[in-house]
Amino acid sequence: MTADQIVFWVFAPISVGSAVAMLFQRNAIHAALFLIVNFFTLAVFYLVLGAPFLFAVQIIVYAGAIMVLFLFVIMLLGVDREESLVERLRGQRPLAIVLGLGLAAEIFVAARASLGLARGPVNFDRTVNVGGNAQALSHVLFRDYFLPFEVTSILLIVAAIAAMVLAQRERTAAEPGREVEAT
Amino acid sequence: MLRSVWLVPALPLAGAVINLFAGRRLGRWAGVLASALMVVAFALALGVLADLVKLPGDERLVVRHLWDWISVGSFRVAADLRVDPLSVTMMLVVTGVGAVIHVYSIGYMHGDPRFGRFFSYMNLFCFFMLTLVLAQNFLFLYVGWEGVGLCSYLLIGFWFDRPRAASAAKKAFVVTRIGDTFMLIGIVLVFLRFGSLDFSRVLIDCSRIPCPLHVPPTGVYTIIALLLFAGAVGKSGQIPLHTWLPDAMEGPTPVSALIHAATMVTAGVYLVARTHLLFEISGVALTVVLVIGLLTAVYAATCALGQDDLKRGLAYSTISQLGYMFFALGLKAYAAALFLLVAHAFYKGLMFLSAGSVMHGLGGETDLGKMGGLRRAMPFTAAMFGVGALAIAGVPPLSGYFAKDQIMEVANQSGYVVAWLLALAGAFLSALYISRLMFLAFLGQDRTERRAHESPPVMTISLALLAVGAAFGGILGLSATTGRLHAFLAPVLGEVTEGTGGLPTVVLSVISVLAALAGIAVGWLVYGSGWVDWVALRARFAGVQRFLAHGWYVDDVYSAVLVAPGKAGAEFLASVVDRRVIDGAVNGVGQLFQRAASRGRRLQTGLVRNYGLAFLVGVVLIFVYVGVRLS
Amino acid sequence: MKTPISYFVVLSAVLFAIGTVGVLVRKNALVIFMSVELQLNAVNLALVAFSRLHGNLNGQVLAFFSMVVAAAEVVVGLAIIVNVYRRMHTANVDDASLLRW
Repeated sequence: MTADQIVFWVFAPISVGSAVAMLFQRNAIHAALFLIVNFFTLAVFYLVLGAPFLFAVQIIVYAGAIMVLFLFVIMLLGVDREESLVERLRGQRPLAIVLGLGLAAEIFVAARASLGLARGPVNFDRTVNVGGNAQALSHVLFRDYFLPFEVTSILLIVAAIAAMVLAQRERTAAEPGREVEAT
Repeated sequence: MLRSVWLVPALPLAGAVINLFAGRRLGRWAGVLASALMVVAFALALGVLADLVKLPGDERLVVRHLWDWISVGSFRVAADLRVDPLSVTMMLVVTGVGAVIHVYSIGYMHGDPRFGRFFSYMNLFCFFMLTLVLAQNFLFLYVGWEGVGLCSYLLIGFWFDRPRAASAAKKAFVVTRIGDTFMLIGIVLVFLRFGSLDFSRVLIDCSRIPCPLHVPPTGVYTIIALLLFAGAVGKSGQIPLHTWLPDAMEGPTPVSALIHAATMVTAGVYLVARTHLLFEISGVALTVVLVIGLLTAVYAATCALGQDDLKRGLAYSTISQLGYMFFALGLKAYAAALFLLVAHAFYKGLMFLSAGSVMHGLGGETDLGKMGGLRRAMPFTAAMFGVGALAIAGVPPLSGYFAKDQIMEVANQSGYVVAWLLALAGAFLSALYISRLMFLAFLGQDRTERRAHESPPVMTISLALLAVGAAFGGILGLSATTGRLHAFLAPVLGEVTEGTGGLPTVVLSVISVLAALAGIAVGWLVYGSGWVDWVALRARFAGVQRFLAHGWYVDDVYSAVLVAPGKAGAEFLASVVDRRVIDGAVNGVGQLFQRAASRGRRLQTGLVRNYGLAFLVGVVLIFVYVGVRLS
Repeated sequence: MKTPISYFVVLSAVLFAIGTVGVLVRKNALVIFMSVELQLNAVNLALVAFSRLHGNLNGQVLAFFSMVVAAAEVVVGLAIIVNVYRRMHTANVDDASLLRW
C-alpha cells in the first residue's frame, strides 16, 4: 500500500461521514462544523492529487473565510434553533434519497465504464508542476486564463457592493413598518 | 326603335337609382320623375311596336345582344333582349298600366314619409318585370323573375313597422321561393338536355322544321315543363302555392294593383306561354296546367264570395282569373290566355285602384261591413268600380266578356264538357262575388264611420284611363280565332283552329252571358235590393262563410303541417343543437384548457425544495438518456 | 500515485449526491446553502482529479476559479438570506412560498 492509497482510504470515509453527518444535524452550527471537517478532508485530497496550492487555498478561503462567514450569519440571525424534523411535503424525502442514490450510481457506472482503473501520468510532479505547483499554475493562469482572471476580479467587486447594498439596514428615521428605498 | 329597345327597361332602372339616392331631396318630384320615366318608356314601347309591325309577319323576331354575361367553358349566357309579338305585348302592358298606376300613386302615397323610396321600388319592379318579359334566355328571365319577387317583398312590406305587413312580405317571399326553386331545377335540366338556355335554341317548333334535339324520350319534357310550371304556380298564386296572395294585400293598394293584378302574377302565364312548345311535346304537362288552372279558378271564386275585406275579395278574384288564364293555356288557347291577361290587367288594375280610392276616402278602411252607400259620397269612384265589375262579370261588350267567353268556347268545342261546365260555374260565381262587393260597398245603407270624400284628380284620371281599357279593350280580341291580338301573336303562339265539337258559338255566348247576368241578379237580390236580410243570412251560414273566408282553411293546414314542424325544428336546432352541442363543443375546448391549466398550475408550489426536486428528476433522466445512448 | 482516478470521481459523485439530498431535504435556508457549497466542492474535487488524469493544469485552474466564484456567491447569497430573515423573521424556506399558484 502506497502512501496515497492509505491517505485515500483513511480520509474518504471521513469525508463521506462528515457530509452525511452534516445532513443529519438539527443544529445549524453543528452542521457548519461538520462541513468544515469535510473541507479539510478535501484539502488533503487536493494535496494527494498534486495540487498543493489548492490545498492551501481550500483551507484559507473555504474553511477559513466562507465557513466563518456562514457561522457569523448563523449566529447573527439566531437560527441555530433546532429545526423540526417533520417533513410537510409528501414524498419529498423518499424521492430525494432515491434520486440521490440513483445519481451516484449513474456516475459510478459511467466512471467505471470510461475511466476504468486509469491512474494518470507517473511523473506528474516533475512534468507538470515544473518549478513547483504555484509557479506552474501561475504560468497557466496569467497567460491562458488571463481574461477570466480579470473578469472574476470584477465579479468579486460586484459581489462586495451587492452585499453592502443588500444588507443595508433600514433607515431608523422612517415610520415603523414603512419601506424606504430598496433594502 | 328596335335597336334601342334596351332603353325601355333602362329608364325605370335609372328612376329607381335616382330615387334611391335623391328621393328624399326630390320630395314630391320623386313621384313625378318615376311616372314620367314610365310614360316615356311606354312611348318607346309603342315605338318598338311600330317598328315591329313594319316587318313581315313571319319575321317578327329581333334579338338585341347587350353583352356577354357568362362564358365558362361550354356554358354561355348572354344578356340578350328578345323582341317578338309576345314580349312586345307584355312590355306594353307593363309600361302602360305601370305608368297609369305610377301617376295614381302620386296621389295615393301623398304624405308618406318614405315617398321617394316607394317610387324607387316601383320603378325597380318595372325594370325587373321588363327584363323578365324581354329576356332571350332562361337565365336572364330568371334574373327578372327573382327581381320581381324581391320587389314584391319590398313593396308588400313597405310599411314594415306593421307586423302583419312584414309577416305577409316574408310569407310571399318564402312561398314563391318554393316555386322558384323548382323552376331553377327545371332551368338546369333545360341546359342539360339542350346544351343551351337560349330561347332560339330551345323553343323550336318541331312541327314546321325538323329539330333533331327534340326527340323522345318525352319524359324529360314532362319533368322540365312541370318544374317550370311549379315556378309559375308560385308566382301566379295557383293552388297549392296561392296562400301568399291574399295576405299580400297588406301592402299599399297601388302595389296590389300593379304587382298582384296586372304584372308580376302574370309572369307565370307569360312563362308558360313562352315555353308552350315544351309543354306540348309532353301532353301530361298541359293537362296538369289545365286542371290546376280550372280548380284554382273555381276554388278562388268560392273564397272570394266569403270575404269581408274589400281587397282580399279582389285578391281571390285575381287568383281566380289567373286560374282562367292557365285553364286557357292548358287548352292550347295561348293567345286567348294572353288576351285575358291584357284585359285583366285593365279591369283588375281598375278595381284595385278604385278600392284604393275608397280607402283613401275612408281613411284606410277595407272592411265591407263599414262601407255602404258610397255612391253618394264618391260617385266617380263608384262608376269606375262598376265598369270594372261589369268587366269581371263578363257582361258584353266589355273586354272581360270577350276574353272569358273565348276560353269557354274553346273548352266546349274541344270536347272538354265537364271543364266547360266548371268554368261556367266559375263565371257565375265571379259575377256573384263581384256584384256582392259592388253592392255592399257602394249601394245600400251607409254604414261608414267617417265621412267619405272623392279622391283627387291625380287618382281619378288614372281610374278613367284604365276604365277605357277595360271597357273597350274587347276590340283587341273579338274572337279566339280572328281577333287582332291573336293574329298578332300567332307567329309566336300558334294559331287556334276552330273547334269542331260541342255547341255552336252563338249558343255558347248566350249561355255565358246568361250566367253572368244570373250572377249579377242574385247578387242584387241578396245584397242590393234590400228584400233579403243578408245580415241574418250570413249569421245563419256563419260556418260556411268562415270556411270560405279562410280559403277553405288551406293556409291553416299549411301552418299546422308545414310551418309548425319547421319552426319546431328550427327551435330544436337553435336551443339544443346550437346551444348545447356546438357551443358545448366550443366552450368545452376552452374549458378543457382551463381545467388542464388549473391542474397544471399546482406545479407552482412556490417552494424551492420542490423545484429542486424537479431539477434532480430532470438531471437523472438526462443522465440515463446519455448513458444509454453512449453505451 | 497508485489510487485509480475513478475512485476520486466516484467519491466526488457521492459527495455531490449527499449535497443534493441535503438541498432537497433540509428546511433551514443556511443548511441548504451549506449543502450547495458541498456540491461545489465535490465538483472541485472531480476537476482536480481529472486534471491529474489528463496531465495538465486546466482542471486546477478551473477549480480555482470555481472557488472564487463560490466565494462571491456565498457573499451575495448570505446577504439575501439576511434580508429575507429581516422581512419574514424565519429562515425556513417553506415559509417563502409567495410565488405559489
